[in-house]
Amino acid sequence: MKSISIIGSGPSGFYTAYHLLKKSPIPLNITLWEKFPVPFGLSRYGVAPDHPEVKNCEETFTQFANAYTIPSGSNNLMHKFQFIGNVQIDSEKLFKLRSIQDCVILSYGCNNDKKLGIPGENDTLGVVSSRQFVNWYNSYPENACATPEQWKGSDFWKNVKNVAIIGNGNVALDICRVLLTSNIKQYWQNTDINQASTEAIKHVSNVKIIGRRGYEQSKFTNKEFRELWELEKYGIKGNIDSKYLSNVDESKLDRAGTRRLEMVKEYMKPFDQRTKKNYKKFKPPSTFTKFWEFDYMKTPVKINKDARNNRISSITLAINKVNEMNKFVIDNSKPCIDYPIDFLITSLGYKGVNIDELGCQKHLNNIKFAGDHLATNREGQVLSSMDNKPIPGLFASGWIKTGSKGVIVSTMIDSFTVGDEVIKYLQCSATSNQQASIIDLQNTVLDSTNYKPTTWFDWLKLDAYEKKLGNPRRKIINIADMLKIIGK
Amino acid sequence: MFKVLPSSLLLKSSARIKRNILYKPIISFTSPTVVTPRFLSTTLPRLHGHLHKPKPGEELHCTFILKDGTQKKFTVAKGDTLLDIAQGHNLDMEGACGGSCACSTCHVIVDPEYYDLLPEPDDDENDMLDLAYGLTETSRLGCCIKMNKDIDGIRVALPQMTRNVQTSDF
Ligand SMILES: Cc1cc2nc3c(=O)[nH]c(=O)nc-3n(C[C@H](O)[C@H](O)[C@H](O)COP(=O)(O)OP(=O)(O)OC[C@H]3O[C@@H](n4cnc5c(N)ncnc54)[C@H](O)[C@@H]3O)c2cc1C
Ligand code: FES
Repeated sequence: MKSISIIGSGPSGFYTAYHLLKKSPIPLNITLWEKFPVPFGLSRYGVAPDHPEVKNCEETFTQFANAYTIPSGSNNLMHKFQFIGNVQIDSEKLFKLRSIQDCVILSYGCNNDKKLGIPGENDTLGVVSSRQFVNWYNSYPENACATPEQWKGSDFWKNVKNVAIIGNGNVALDICRVLLTSNIKQYWQNTDINQASTEAIKHVSNVKIIGRRGYEQSKFTNKEFRELWELEKYGIKGNIDSKYLSNVDESKLDRAGTRRLEMVKEYMKPFDQRTKKNYKKFKPPSTFTKFWEFDYMKTPVKINKDARNNRISSITLAINKVNEMNKFVIDNSKPCIDYPIDFLITSLGYKGVNIDELGCQKHLNNIKFAGDHLATNREGQVLSSMDNKPIPGLFASGWIKTGSKGVIVSTMIDSFTVGDEVIKYLQCSATSNQQASIIDLQNTVLDSTNYKPTTWFDWLKLDAYEKKLGNPRRKIINIADMLKIIGK
Repeated sequence: MFKVLPSSLLLKSSARIKRNILYKPIISFTSPTVVTPRFLSTTLPRLHGHLHKPKPGEELHCTFILKDGTQKKFTVAKGDTLLDIAQGHNLDMEGACGGSCACSTCHVIVDPEYYDLLPEPDDDENDMLDLAYGLTETSRLGCCIKMNKDIDGIRVALPQMTRNVQTSDF
C-alpha cells in the first residue's frame, strides 16, 4: 500500500485521483485535500451557471468518491480514498505531508489575478478582475474573497450601463453573457446563479470586449461565441467592425477558424438575408435593447476617474499595429482614444501562486515557479528552485501546472497523463510510507486545534441542503454557515 | 485511408491538409474483428451504463477499436448512443459532460465506410469537435450517434489522446 496526497479538489485533483484509482496496480491510499468544505473548484466556482452540462463531471467525481470513501465504500476495493475539506495546505503543511506520504500531487489551481499594471487599476471604484466578478455571481465563499463592499448596494449599480472587458477569452464571454441577460428572469430561473448579482447588474446595456491583438488571435471558443450571437432572440445585438475582418487570410484558418469566420459573416447580415438555416433558428425582436461589441488592436494605458467619488469615468487606450517581427505593439503615430465607461473588468487570466509563499514559511519546499504556474518537467514532476531537478515524489496537474488555459477536457487529459507518471514513479520507488490513517494525517499535518476538517459525508450533507433550497441548488456563501449546516 | 472530406465539416482545403499531417491516426479499420466477451474492470466500480436490451430480431451491432488496436464487437439496441455502449462495457471513454455534447471526451473516429451514413453533425457537435484531441476527417462525438438500423455494423476507433493540441484559452 502506498500513500498519496492530492492538494486541491477541482477537476484536476479529482481526475488525477480517479485515474490513479482506476489504473494503479499498486494498492493506494489517497487523501484529497481542499481548502473549502466544498469540493470541485472551478466547476463550482468558475463555470457559468447557465452551463450546467459542463458541471456533469461532478457526477462522476461523486460516484467514485462515494464508492471509495471509507466506511461506506465497498470494503473489498483495493484502494482507499478520503476527502479532507476546510484545510488549506501551505508551505509548512506540504513539507510535513511530503515526509509521511509516498507522493504528493499539487492540483490547487490558479487563485489570483493577472494584472494590467496600469495607473488606476487598483484604486478606482468600478475596476475589478474577472475572477472577482465571476466569484460574485457564482457565490464564492464571502470570507474568502474580497468583494468590494460598494457592490452590495444597488445604488452602486443604478448608473452602470456601459461596461468594458479587457481580454477576450471564454471567461470574458461568460461575463458578457451574464451582464446582458441579467434582466431576463426565465434565462436564469433554473440556475444556481447568485440572484443578488443578476438583480444588481440588470441596467447594463452595452458591453465592449477589448483585445490587444486582432480578430484572428481571439481566444474564445466557437461554442461560447455562438451562444453570444444567439442572444439576439432576446433583443441583444452583437457587432464586430468589418475592418477587423477584412485582412483575415482565409486560407490560413484552421477548422475552428473557418467555422468562426462564417459565423461572424452570417450573423452580421440582417436576419432575412442569411443564407444558412442554422443562423436563422430564432427570429430576433424588431428592436434591440442591449449591445455587445468586439474591439481589437488596443492597449489599455490609463484608467480615468471622477475625482468626486473615485469612480471610473473612462479608459484610455492606445492603438496597436503589427510590427516587422509580427508582434502587436503600440502605434505611436496614432493618438490614444478614450472610452467613457461605468465599469471595467480585466479578464487576463487567473494567476497561480507558489504554495511556498503560503503560511508561515518556516519550512520551504524550494519549489520552482515559472511566472504564473509551477515549473515541472515532462513527467509532471515539480522542479526544485535550488538545482532545477525534480523534487522526489512531488508532482503537479491541472491549471497550477499549465497556467490558466484550457477547458475541463484538457485539464482531464493532463491529469490522466500525470496519473500515469505517478504510477510509474511509485513502481520504481522502493520506500513505502506506512499508510497514514486520517488520524495520523491530522495529527501530523494539523498541529493546532484551530482546524475543523470536514469529510466527504459532510459535503454530501451540505450538498443535499443546498439542493433543497433551490433548483438546481442555492449555494451557501459563508463558510461559517456551511460548517453550521454540517454540524461542526 | 480516409475519404475526401465531406462539405459538412466546413473545412477549407489547406486547413484540411494541415490537419491530416498533424493528426493522422494510427488505426486500421481493416484488421479482422475478434468478438470479445464483456470486459469488467476489477478495480473501479461501474459508474455508468444503462444499456437497453435489444428486442429479439432487432439486434444491431457495432465495433469499437481500442487504443491498443483490439476490436470489440457488441450486440446493441436501437436508440443507445455510442457513449452509452462504450460506458456500459467499461471502455475508456470519459463522457465528462454526461452525454450532453459539451465536452468532446466521447470523441470517436468513424470508419469512412460508415461516416456518410450518419446525419451531418449539427453546430453544437461541430463546436465541440473543434476542441477534440486528435481530430480526423471522420471524427464524431459518441454521445451524438444513436444506434439505428441504417448504421448497423458501424465501426469506430477511440482516438489517442495527445497533449498540446488545444488552443482555446481563458
Ligand atoms: C470563469 C471560468 C469559466 C470556465 N468555464 C468552463 C466551461 O464552460 N467549460 C470548460 O470545460 N471549462 C471551463 N473552465 C475551465 C475549468 O474550470 C478548468 O479547466 C478547471 O477547473 C481547472 O481545474 P483545476 O483542478 O486545475 O483548478 P481548480 O478548478 O481551480 O481547482 C483547484 C482547487 O484547489 C483548491 N485549493 C486551492 N488552493 C488550495 C490549498 N492551498 N490547499 C487546498 N486546496 C486548495 C481550490 O479551492 C479548488 O477547489 C472555466 C474556467 C473559468 C475560470
Ligand atoms: S459526452 Fe461530452 S460531448 Fe459527448
